[in-house]
Amino acid sequence: MAATQKTVDTVKELERYKHGFTTQVEQEFSPVGLDEGTVRFISAKKGEPEWMLEWRLAAFQRWLAMDEPTWAKVDYVPADYQALHYYAAPKTREGPKSLDEVDPEILETYKKLGIPLREQEVLAGVQGAPKYAVDAVFDSVSVVTTFREELAKAGVIFCSFSEAVREHPELVRKYLGSVVPVSDNYFAALNSAVFSDGSFVYVPPGVRCPMELSTYFRINAENTGQFERTLIIADKGAYVSYLEGCTAPMRDENQLHAAVVELIALDDAEIKYSTVQNWYPGDPETGKGGIYNFVTKRADCRGDRSKVSWTQVETGSAVTWKYPSCLLKGEGSVGEFYSIAITNGRQQADTGTKMVHLGANTRSRIISKGVSAGRSSNTYRGLVSAHPKATGARNFTQCDSLLIGKSCAAHTVPYVEARNGSAQFEHEATTTRLSEDQLFYARQRGLSAEEATALLVNGFVREVLQELPMEFAVEAQKLVAISLEGSVG
Amino acid sequence: MTPARLDITQPETWPNRRVEDWRWTDVARVLREAPPPSPQASVEPGGPFAGLGGDELAVVNGRAPADARIIADGPGQVARLRFVSATDGTGHQARIIIEVKPGADLLLLESQEGAAAGYVANHILDIDVGAGGRLTRIVLAADAADALAFTRADVTMGGHAAFAQTVLTTGAKLQRIETRVSHPGKGASVRLDGLYLLSGERHADATSEVDHTGLDGQTSQLTKGVVRERGRGVFQGRIIVREGADGTDARMGHHALILGDRGEVDAKPELEIYADDVACAHGNTVGALDEMALFYLRSRGVPEAEARALLTEAFLGEALDRIEREDVREVCRAWLAERLSSPPPSSGAERGRGTTRRVVEGAAQSAAPDLAPSTASRSPSPAGGGGEER
Repeated sequence: MAATQKTVDTVKELERYKHGFTTQVEQEFSPVGLDEGTVRFISAKKGEPEWMLEWRLAAFQRWLAMDEPTWAKVDYVPADYQALHYYAAPKTREGPKSLDEVDPEILETYKKLGIPLREQEVLAGVQGAPKYAVDAVFDSVSVVTTFREELAKAGVIFCSFSEAVREHPELVRKYLGSVVPVSDNYFAALNSAVFSDGSFVYVPPGVRCPMELSTYFRINAENTGQFERTLIIADKGAYVSYLEGCTAPMRDENQLHAAVVELIALDDAEIKYSTVQNWYPGDPETGKGGIYNFVTKRADCRGDRSKVSWTQVETGSAVTWKYPSCLLKGEGSVGEFYSIAITNGRQQADTGTKMVHLGANTRSRIISKGVSAGRSSNTYRGLVSAHPKATGARNFTQCDSLLIGKSCAAHTVPYVEARNGSAQFEHEATTTRLSEDQLFYARQRGLSAEEATALLVNGFVREVLQELPMEFAVEAQKLVAISLEGSVG
Repeated sequence: MTPARLDITQPETWPNRRVEDWRWTDVARVLREAPPPSPQASVEPGGPFAGLGGDELAVVNGRAPADARIIADGPGQVARLRFVSATDGTGHQARIIIEVKPGADLLLLESQEGAAAGYVANHILDIDVGAGGRLTRIVLAADAADALAFTRADVTMGGHAAFAQTVLTTGAKLQRIETRVSHPGKGASVRLDGLYLLSGERHADATSEVDHTGLDGQTSQLTKGVVRERGRGVFQGRIIVREGADGTDARMGHHALILGDRGEVDAKPELEIYADDVACAHGNTVGALDEMALFYLRSRGVPEAEARALLTEAFLGEALDRIEREDVREVCRAWLAERLSSPPPSSGAERGRGTTRRVVEGAAQSAAPDLAPSTASRSPSPAGGGGEER
C-alpha cells in the first residue's frame, strides 16, 4: 500500500499550475455586459470599416435568438454573459512599432512563459534550431507579431486579425465566416459578434511557408472573456504549419474563452494546425475557477487533393468543448485529427472531431487518446459521415481511453453516418486502465510508480505526440507528465 | 434513468430526431396522428418456431390472454411468443411480462409477424432474470415494408444470471428493436447479437443499452447488417459501467455492408465508463463487400452473383454462429437464407390480406376503444385485455 500512500501525498503537492501568475499592466476595458453598444464599442476601438460592424451586429442578433448547447457530457455553471468584459487591452500608444514600445511587463510575461518575442532570441538557441514566427495575443489584442519581414519576402501574410481587416479587407471579406457561418452554434455566434483579435495567415499559391507560424494566447485580466478569431488560407499548392499555445492566470472565477478558427485549403494545399492547450484547469480539489474553453475549429478542404491535419494536446481548462473538424469537399482531399486529451482534478473535457466526406475519394484519419485521472471526466465525441456523392470515401478511427483512479470517467461517443455503398469506415475504441503487468515490470526495473506511469502514458499517447512539430513535441511531452503528476493509482 | 416509453396513443411520447436517442429514427415524421385501434383477431397456432416445441403465446393485434405472462421456474423450458399484426392501417400495443425464476432456464422464441399492411405496432417486454437464471431470447422480425414497428425489452438481471439474445430483422418503413439491460447483481453475463438485412426503403434500428452496476459483469455484442437498395440500418449501442462496477469486461461490435448505392448505415457505439478496473472495447466498420474475396471466388469458378450471395450470407451468418442450440440456429439460418434469396416484396400489402379482411369483419367495433387511456378500468374480454396499456 506504500504506492497508494505515495499517490495521496503526491496528489496533495501537485497541481502547481506553472503559468498561473498574473501580469500587472495598465489595461483598458469595455464596460461590463453585452449589448449592441458593446459590439459597437469593440468595432470602434479597432477602427473597423462599416461592413465589419454590420457583420458583427448581424451575428449578435443571431446569438440573441440562440440557446447555449447542453448536449455535451459536461456539467458547469453557465457563464454570466452580462458580467464579463468583452474587451480588455493593455494601454499602449497607438500600435507599437517595435518591441521597445511594448509594455515591459508584457514582454516579461512572455519571457516567463518561454515565448520568444525577440527574433534574435529565437536564433540564440541551438544552432540550426528551426525558426518560428509568433503572434502574441494578450487578452483581447495582438501585442506583437514577429518575423514579418522575412515572411513578407516569401509573400506570406501573417498579422493580427485587426490588421488584416484594415490592410487586406478583400481577403477577409471573401473568407471570413465561409467555414464557420455566424449562426453555426451559440459560441461561434457570440465570437462573431465580439471577437477582438486573433491571427490571420495567407499563403499565396505554390508557396511553402518558410517557417512555423504560431500564436500564443494569454488571458490575463479578471472577468474577461477571450474571443479570438483565426483565419488561415492556404492558396493552391501552398503549405503552412501553424502552432497555437495558451495559458491563463489562476483565478477563482471561471473565465470564458470562445474562439473560432477557420482554415481554408485550396487545390493541393496543406495546412497543419497544432494546439497545445494549457489554460488554467481550476482548483483540483474544489473545481473552483478555471477556463471555459468553448471553441469552434473547422477546416474547409475546398480544393482537390488538399489536406488539413489537426493535432491537439489538451491538458488545461476546467471545461472543454471543442471539435476541430474537416469538411472534405475537394476530390481526394484528406483530413487528419490527432488528439491527446488529459483531464485531472475536476476537469471536464468533451472533445473530438467531425470528418464530413463530401467529395469523391476523400480520406480521413482520427487518432484520439484520452487520459482521465482524479475526479475528471473525459469524453471523445466524433462524427464521420459520407455524403452519397463521396464515393470511395475512407475513414479510420481509433480512440483509446486510459483511466487512472477510481473516480474518473471516460466516455466514447462516435457517430458514423455512411450514405453510400463505396465508403469504407473503420472505427475501433478501447477503454482500460494502466496495465498492472506493465507497471510492475517498469517498477521492478527500478522506476518509481510515478515514473512508470509517466512512461506508460507517454507510450500510450506517442502516436499523437509524433505528429507534433518538433518544438511543440518536447513541450507537450513534459506537459503530459506534469498533468498527470500525482495521479498514479 | 430509463427513458419514457413510446405510446402510440399519446402523440407527446413520439420522439423526433431532435431527441438524441432517436436521431436516426424519427417517429414524429412518419407517425402524424394516432392510428385507429386494431380490432380483435386471431391466428392459427404455428409461427416460424412451430417446429421447436414449447408453449405458444400469441399476441394478435396487441391482445393477449388476460394472464399473459411467461414464467419459467425450472430448467430447460421453452416458450414461443408471437406478436402478430393482422389488420391493415391500424395500431396496437401490448406489454408482456417475462420472469425467469432464480436458477431457472428459458428459451424464448419470439416472432414478429406482419400479416397486414400499414400497421403500427408497439410491443413492450418487461423481463426479469433471477439470480443464476438463464434466458435465451431469439427474435425473428418480419414486418411489412410499410409498417411502423417498435419493440422494447427492459431486462433486469440478478447475480450470476445470463442473458443471450439474437435478433434477426428485415426492417419496416420504420422499425426499432430496443433492448435495455441492467444488472445490479454480481457476475452477470450478457450476449446481445443481431443482424439486419434491409431492401427497398426499409429501416431497421437496433438500439441497446447495457448498464453495468454490479461487479464482474461481462457483455459481448455483435451486430451485423446488410443494406441493399435504399435501405437504412441504424445501430446504437451504449455500454455503461457505473462507479464500483469493477471487473467489467464489455465488447461491442457492429459491422455493416452497404450493397446498394443509396443505402445508408448510421452507427453510434458508445462507451460510458465511471470505473477504472475495466476492459471495454468497441469496433465499428461500414463498407462494401471485399473485392479480393469476390475475385478469389470468381477465380475458382463461382459466378459473380453466387459469389456475392455466398459472401453476404457468410458475413451475416457470423452473428448466428453464436446461438448455442443447433436446432434454433438452423431455423434462423433457414429464415435468413430464404430472405437472402428472395428479398421481401417492397410493399407488405399482398401479404396476409386474405386473412386480415375476415378478421376485421369478425371483430367489428367491439374492441375499438382498446387503446384508449382508460383501458385499465375496463374488464378484459376473454381473448383480449392483456396488458396493452403501458
